[in-house]
Amino acid sequence: MSTVTQKPLELILARNLMSALSTPAFLVDEGGVLVFYNEAAGTLLGKRFEELGTVGAEEWGSMFGPFDDAGQPIAYDELPLVVAVRQGRPAHANFEIGSIDGARHQVEASAFPILTAHGSRGAIAVFWPAGSNSGTGH
Amino acid sequence: MKVKLWGTRGSVPSPGPETIRYGGNTSCIGVTLADGSMLALDAGTGIRCLGLALPDEPTRLHVLLTHLHLDHIQGLVFFAPAFRPQTEIVIWGPASPEASLRDRIARYISAPLSPVEVRELPCDVSFRHCPESEWEIGSARIRAASVAHRGPTLGYRIDDGESSLAYIPDHEPALGADLDTLEADWISGLGLARDASLLICDGQYSDDEYPAHVGWGHSSTSHAISFARRAGARRTVLFHHDPLHSDEQLDRLGEVARRRWIELGGAAETLDLAVERAEYELSERAPSPLQAA
Repeated sequence: MSTVTQKPLELILARNLMSALSTPAFLVDEGGVLVFYNEAAGTLLGKRFEELGTVGAEEWGSMFGPFDDAGQPIAYDELPLVVAVRQGRPAHANFEIGSIDGARHQVEASAFPILTAHGSRGAIAVFWPAGSNSGTGH
Repeated sequence: MKVKLWGTRGSVPSPGPETIRYGGNTSCIGVTLADGSMLALDAGTGIRCLGLALPDEPTRLHVLLTHLHLDHIQGLVFFAPAFRPQTEIVIWGPASPEASLRDRIARYISAPLSPVEVRELPCDVSFRHCPESEWEIGSARIRAASVAHRGPTLGYRIDDGESSLAYIPDHEPALGADLDTLEADWISGLGLARDASLLICDGQYSDDEYPAHVGWGHSSTSHAISFARRAGARRTVLFHHDPLHSDEQLDRLGEVARRRWIELGGAAETLDLAVERAEYELSERAPSPLQAA
């Protein structure tokens, strides 16, 4: 038998789309594992996905913050991406994330689930600098 | 496992003197498993001739549909075994949130497009959504997976003893992706095609034609070659010929494909352009012509 464990097509297509966008975007699989983020997100975080690789559920939630208005870490279960993948519904929030170089960015994040005839495949989150009306402004 | 190509053309039947060598019938592959079980992969107009070649006796047939575009189902109402009460036909295909497989196929096999309705077919016909997990038909294990095309579309892998067939006739894995560098598990269809004895894959457009057809769900010659290289299949057949391609154009396209294949280290005899009525017998594993990447 073939030995390649194929990613679900919906994740493949999502990654291909995200790769072509200048809007920062994250992709998690149905288990919440961070399986991809695009170049724009890498710029925001200070590290390309190719350098980081996949990151386990709950682990990625603490790597970059996020922090609330008081600077306190936001509970993993409350992150839009987690709500989307666990509850199967869209979610939106404002918060601050920290990049590898220590810089903080105030962002808005919208996440939506990837649902198929066979159930959930994961979720996508896109980010905007808070207060911006034009995404990354590019 | 024996494989016979009954229809190699994509999109629309294209009969005529200019397509007589490669064939004008749309997608259909006949597969005879080691235990004698019969499968038809897709039901384009090629399935009409497959039906005529089958013996007129009690038969159980499995028709595995990749998707429901007309060039993959048009032959169903001209499939002689469907009009024999002693025939049992199981039709497999992709699930859709929109409607059942039976209801979606019935849009074609119903008035005013068809003189018969599904319920009027004399054979014992049933419809099944392909499961996400592997299943068995006769001596084979079957696997279906969604692949990059327009609308819900499957590719199939059939493992029968030591031989394996991967069938991905409508496929655009290079859409937004670099097939030469992307990780294998992120390439649409590669899990089905990896190390197959025979890979039948989409190669509809020449490289010059592809830029005007990005997103149409089909592959260029170079993309098909790259996909085959990554798959490491023992033999590759480029399939789903464009209806506008004459035999002479396909000859030239084949030359280009083989040159590229050889440049990548492949053996010329392991790459074919699909020819209607061509037969392949898959018996045992042979060394791969290219190292899978």
